[in-house]
Amino acid sequence: MSTIVAAQVPEVRSSSGFRIGMLLPGALVTFLLILFALALVIFLAFRANDGSLLGAGFTVANFITVVSDPLYWTVTLRSLVIAGLVTFATVVTAYPVAYYLAFHAGRRRSLLLFLVTLPFWTSYLLRVFAWKIVLAYNGVLNSALIESGVWSEPTLAFLNTPAAVVVTLAHAYAPFAILPIYVALDTIPKSLIEAASDLGARPFTSFRRVVLPNSMPGVLAAALVVFVPTVGDYVTPALVGGPASTMIGTLIQAQFGKANDWPFGAALSVAVMLVILCVVLVARATDRRFGSRA
Amino acid sequence: MAFELKSTTAKKARTGLAALAIILSSTVAFAADKLQYFTWSGYELPDFNKSFLAAHPDGVEASIFGDDDDAFTKVKAGFRPDIAHPCYDKVARWNKEGLLQPIDTKRIKNWDSIFPVFKNLPDLQAGDGKVWMVPWDWGNTSILYRTDLVKNPEASWNLLWDKQYAGRMATIDAVHDTPIVAALLAGVNPFDMTPEQMEKVAAKLREQRPLLSNYTTDMTSVEQALSSGQLVAAMTWNASATSLKKQGVPVEFMKPKEGMLTWACGFVMLKDAKNVDLAYDFINSRLDAESGKYLIESYGYGSSLSTAFAAVPKDELEKLQLPSDPEVMLKTTIFTGPMKQNDDLAKMFEKVKAGG
Repeated sequence: MSTIVAAQVPEVRSSSGFRIGMLLPGALVTFLLILFALALVIFLAFRANDGSLLGAGFTVANFITVVSDPLYWTVTLRSLVIAGLVTFATVVTAYPVAYYLAFHAGRRRSLLLFLVTLPFWTSYLLRVFAWKIVLAYNGVLNSALIESGVWSEPTLAFLNTPAAVVVTLAHAYAPFAILPIYVALDTIPKSLIEAASDLGARPFTSFRRVVLPNSMPGVLAAALVVFVPTVGDYVTPALVGGPASTMIGTLIQAQFGKANDWPFGAALSVAVMLVILCVVLVARATDRRFGSRA
Repeated sequence: MAFELKSTTAKKARTGLAALAIILSSTVAFAADKLQYFTWSGYELPDFNKSFLAAHPDGVEASIFGDDDDAFTKVKAGFRPDIAHPCYDKVARWNKEGLLQPIDTKRIKNWDSIFPVFKNLPDLQAGDGKVWMVPWDWGNTSILYRTDLVKNPEASWNLLWDKQYAGRMATIDAVHDTPIVAALLAGVNPFDMTPEQMEKVAAKLREQRPLLSNYTTDMTSVEQALSSGQLVAAMTWNASATSLKKQGVPVEFMKPKEGMLTWACGFVMLKDAKNVDLAYDFINSRLDAESGKYLIESYGYGSSLSTAFAAVPKDELEKLQLPSDPEVMLKTTIFTGPMKQNDDLAKMFEKVKAGG
């Protein structure tokens, strides 16, 4: 008996050493890169701007400005609408791709998955510029429409519009939506679908009543993964958006850049984080209603 | 067979790792003794500092900015180049933040050839024969328009507010350009204004926003849009006019009755510059008459050196709409000096751009 205990002790010790070793990188990332950075932003948001790096004195004036100036409401709302449209467009186009991958791709599945991730091999900026070339005044789309006789003159209606931002972002985030939906679809037990057809469901009915509800967690995950980063995006509106699609990210970036008011920029960031938090909470509540399979 | 395969893969992997290690260590080693130069995009060309590169091959590493307000916040946040290239109106601001060290004019061999109008700028003086900035380039900001698409416009900044060209105009996304012009049109002194006057400037800017295709500092895309006809008029600097004319695009650089904007920029040395001697070599090389001549002829900007102007033929200067003495130019243009309300203007401009 005692020999067994003696033999167990070093094993426990080494396993706790192993556990610490495994947890250390994660803890470092969490505390240093996430919690410390977040604390810094929140600290800065309550400072008054005097042009110095960390501001001076404590104040809530930044938040009062954010809440009382209708501009920030307008721009936040615009960001939510644009990000919502991007999310909708991305999920709706990603679903059929994921569906095909999960049920019909067969041997070609790994090749197709590889192709889905292929755009990530180039820089995001390059992809934005590619869209600039497509949407420009004398760009690919305009030239094609003129060649085919749809229009006689190139139109300005493509580039520098909110629609251009939606299209560009939807393309850029497509793989982020395809992969979680694919995983959700792939893990649906095939027996469920068989059972549905055994009970006389037509393919569309079994899709609507079995496949779609069971893949909802994946769809919601995809929607969140696309929605959260696009709300704060500022590069895309700056490059393809024009003045009418200034998003909240652009405003925040400007506070840290040209406007030289870091505390206000931090306050705006905190406000946007709170708004996004609300959206995420709503999405989680929806997820629970649809019954996550986790 | 399998064993052989494994050993060759292992060998390949080892060689690969060794190569990677060499590459990494060499970049680290070189980066430390290279001059770090932080400048406007397009100003990093090796032709501007040939003699420096002859003496120190591959001796400079340039980082680029599109707007010197952004450059300021980047340096403030901890980016540490050896020398930077802001414009005159920003020098006092950089200085106030304690980012600069004075430059000894005794070590600048062509200091005496710099036009007095630049040498004597008040914010440059650090006393004791030292300066905060060595002027290098100057130029104008105005409207560049397509002569075939905008027929005989009135020579006025109001063109950028003309509703018939809605959606086909662009303007520069910088506080020392667009808001200054808006102030001029609103009848307000751009360099010192009361809050009520700033509201007038904001109103002028709000009026312009729906007419613009975009606000940008990316001059390459503005030039492309002008030559394709997507834009018919845009606020630009001389270099865009020079480059489009060289390409044969029918454009004209306007002389607005309210006056073009004239700016001057130059080199500042950062307080904790690691390569001070290299920095002096670099500034001296940039102040070669040959380098100034290249700046005039390729970009159409003015050099700060009288010797550079002397080296360019008269008819070439006329083509570029440059007088041989900047003082002549400054009689008809508005010099962008420091703006007292720079930060407030910047915030206001950001809000207007976002639709507020």
